[in-house]
Amino acid sequence: MRGKGLALLCLVPFTLFYIAFQVAPLVWIAIHSFYSEMYEAWGWGNYSDILTSTFYRQAMRFSLDISFWSSVWGLLIALAGGYSLHQLGGGRLHRFLMSFTNMTSNFAGVPLAFAFVILLGLNGCVTLLMHKYGLMQTFNLYSADGLIVVYSWFQIPLGILLLYPAFDGLKKEWQESAALLGAGRWHYWRHIGLPILSPALLGTFVILLANALGAYATIYALTTGNFNLVPVRIAALVSGDISLDPNMGSALAMLLVLLMVAITLVHQWLLRRSYQYAGRRS
Amino acid sequence: MNISIIKWWWLVFLILALPLLATLLYALSTTWGATILPRGFTLRWMVQLWSDPRFMTALGHSLLICLGALVFSLVLVLPAMFVIAYYFPRLDAVMNVLILMPFAVPPVVSSVGLLQLYSDPPLMLTGTPWILIGCYFTLALPFIYRALANNMQAINMRELIDAAHLLGASTWQAALLVVLPNLRKGAFIAVLLSFSFLIGEFVLANLLVGTRYETLQVYLYNVRNESGHFSSALVISYFLVVLLITWLANALNRERG
Amino acid sequence: MSWLNVTRLSKSYGPTMIFQDIDFSASEGEFVTLLGPSGCGKSTLLRCIAGLTPVDGGQILLDGQDIAPLTPQNRAVGMVFQSYALFPNMTVERNVAFGLKMQKLPASAISQRVAEVLELVEMNDYARRYPHQLSGGQCQRVALARSLVTRPRLLLLDEPLSALDARIRRHLRDRIRSIQKELNLTTLFVTHDQEEALVLSDRIVLMDQGRIVQTGNAEALYTQPVNLFAAGFIGHYNLLTAEQAAQLTGETFHRQVALRPESVVFCPSGQGIPAQILGHSLLGNVIRYRVKAKEVELWVDVLNRSVESLHPAGFQVGLLLEPGTLREVA
Repeated sequence: MRGKGLALLCLVPFTLFYIAFQVAPLVWIAIHSFYSEMYEAWGWGNYSDILTSTFYRQAMRFSLDISFWSSVWGLLIALAGGYSLHQLGGGRLHRFLMSFTNMTSNFAGVPLAFAFVILLGLNGCVTLLMHKYGLMQTFNLYSADGLIVVYSWFQIPLGILLLYPAFDGLKKEWQESAALLGAGRWHYWRHIGLPILSPALLGTFVILLANALGAYATIYALTTGNFNLVPVRIAALVSGDISLDPNMGSALAMLLVLLMVAITLVHQWLLRRSYQYAGRRS
Repeated sequence: MNISIIKWWWLVFLILALPLLATLLYALSTTWGATILPRGFTLRWMVQLWSDPRFMTALGHSLLICLGALVFSLVLVLPAMFVIAYYFPRLDAVMNVLILMPFAVPPVVSSVGLLQLYSDPPLMLTGTPWILIGCYFTLALPFIYRALANNMQAINMRELIDAAHLLGASTWQAALLVVLPNLRKGAFIAVLLSFSFLIGEFVLANLLVGTRYETLQVYLYNVRNESGHFSSALVISYFLVVLLITWLANALNRERG
Repeated sequence: MSWLNVTRLSKSYGPTMIFQDIDFSASEGEFVTLLGPSGCGKSTLLRCIAGLTPVDGGQILLDGQDIAPLTPQNRAVGMVFQSYALFPNMTVERNVAFGLKMQKLPASAISQRVAEVLELVEMNDYARRYPHQLSGGQCQRVALARSLVTRPRLLLLDEPLSALDARIRRHLRDRIRSIQKELNLTTLFVTHDQEEALVLSDRIVLMDQGRIVQTGNAEALYTQPVNLFAAGFIGHYNLLTAEQAAQLTGETFHRQVALRPESVVFCPSGQGIPAQILGHSLLGNVIRYRVKAKEVELWVDVLNRSVESLHPAGFQVGLLLEPGTLREVA
């Protein structure tokens, strides 16, 4: 049993650092979210302030709105693009495109903000191009719609990478059987393809949602904290000069964490359900 | 098969490449004001960037922190994963929860607690690279865990150790001499995936450390107002550096077989 | 006029020729087996007839109509795959109904026909089950039902029994044949198992490396293999060189000779060709002896009637070869 004792020792540094950098901050936030700076008392003060404040409610509305729509667009484009990529089979083009997708998934954040200003900013080349043909005169990169475009962009590579393994689960014989039974492409996808993919689609959507909700770097670089989103508010409450209130920030952060945990649980449940299709004889 | 492949991937490739192309053009153009295409091309922004000492420092900082964090992570995670896989397999369920946490708790949220906990003595970590190394360990954990777990499963670790035992090795000898060398591939993939992720990290670097130990991303943010061309040159260079390192690492790994 | 007429069909993948100038036909209600080793092109040929793989040249006439330019949806051809290919998100009922749904039949007609065909394959109790709840044999029966319910003009079966265990395979094999006879459905069956081919078929098309080696019924293929490959593939022939055959029988031969192991009869030592038993294998109802006669080694198959008839190694016997049992093959 000496081996086991020594083994346990190996787990200690790992556990220690994990607690120090992941668990401890979360615990601190959880505890201090219940202390209100304003009322100088413990209780639900912060939470009620947040939930009754139009300002914070707007932040939450914007966050959910932008996250939802960017996930929808990202997922649709990732579905079409990812499936088409999968059909390419092996080969150099396929390998190149997969590496490219991997690469672009790390472009998000400050670099992405810059790139989009170049493209779709007030004097962006695409903006000017559109104006020349009289299109999209009212488009503003720094509005909710503009942010949906930017967020959708960085959802695409993540969506493709997450969805890709699911396409392996779509056996070619199903499409062939369906064809012999009279089903064209549309009918195949409607009755067989999409239903089989639905756990993967839902699971990916849910991860994209969480990805967008927690995103901070892109929005910060783009609008310097002038757009009202939940992560921006949290950061402002913790490190801003004017509105420094880490306890309120903690409460807001806890609300975000709760939402993320709910999303994670849904995703885990969906993963378990998809085992019904994967690895089963059919 | 009469079912044709719709070439959507072309469209997606274009959409993904557009921002990169725009940045590249901007980095190489003389001026690009209110016109659809730039006026002229030049390399002077790239030259200016690479001769800027602040850029080189930031690059050095980024590389140092990322590599440091990765080494630190491997040193912590490898023994832990081995121990769990061999001695305490039931803790695997716990691990699965642990690797979900960085996902459910976004960096912005963690920074709230991190700033409060580590901004005062005795644990005065904010403003130093050490806090980043610690945080990046938790951020890289899901990638590292998944790559190593796949690898461990593929090599049938338990059977290897059993074989080593029968040949006279103790468990620890088996771990070091038999298992570890076979985990090279998984460790390599883990490092590659995490590296490109970590070097692009901005949130924690900015909120916890800022300009006191400036990383590439923070530097990028701080000089954004100086010149769009300069910033674009910076983005392209950053991208090229990541590509180069990834390519180099791949080539090295292929050589060693 | 035959029901199915394949004329000069060719298929290549780049420089690799899969099959070339294939000609064969099937009459209405006939059960034809495409038999051959792996890689001979039989599965590709089947897929081309189904329309799942395009052909490079040739015609496929089904009931007088050239279906080669048609999509699989429009060929009215049914197919059963080796891996069943049941749609995992649908129940047995809905799987079988799928083809009828694509034909836009009214719901009442669909449910009636589905019930009929499920009864035919003896799966009516499993109508509400999902594929992952069924065994391999049950899945294959559902797959068969699914392809039969649309009343196709031609039924294709691509090694449908290969993934099943032996007992289920035999039972299902007989079931497929009886259903096919009952419906008078022209059927093309692909297999590499010569026993299946011999048992099921009205006619066998033997293929090797993209070419048809021999066509004929089971009897013809078994007793009159046309060349060395055919003799080596069907049955368990003894393949002797011309010299060995001459040595054994005293007659002259110009080519290699095939000799069926069951056409050699044992007689007491002293009669016939002197031989010595080298050893034996028990194959259940057949004992396969290895004997040596005049420096030539042969397989001899004898029915396993009793344990007394088992000859030990070293035993001396005589061999009687019926005339005409040595067949020259190329």
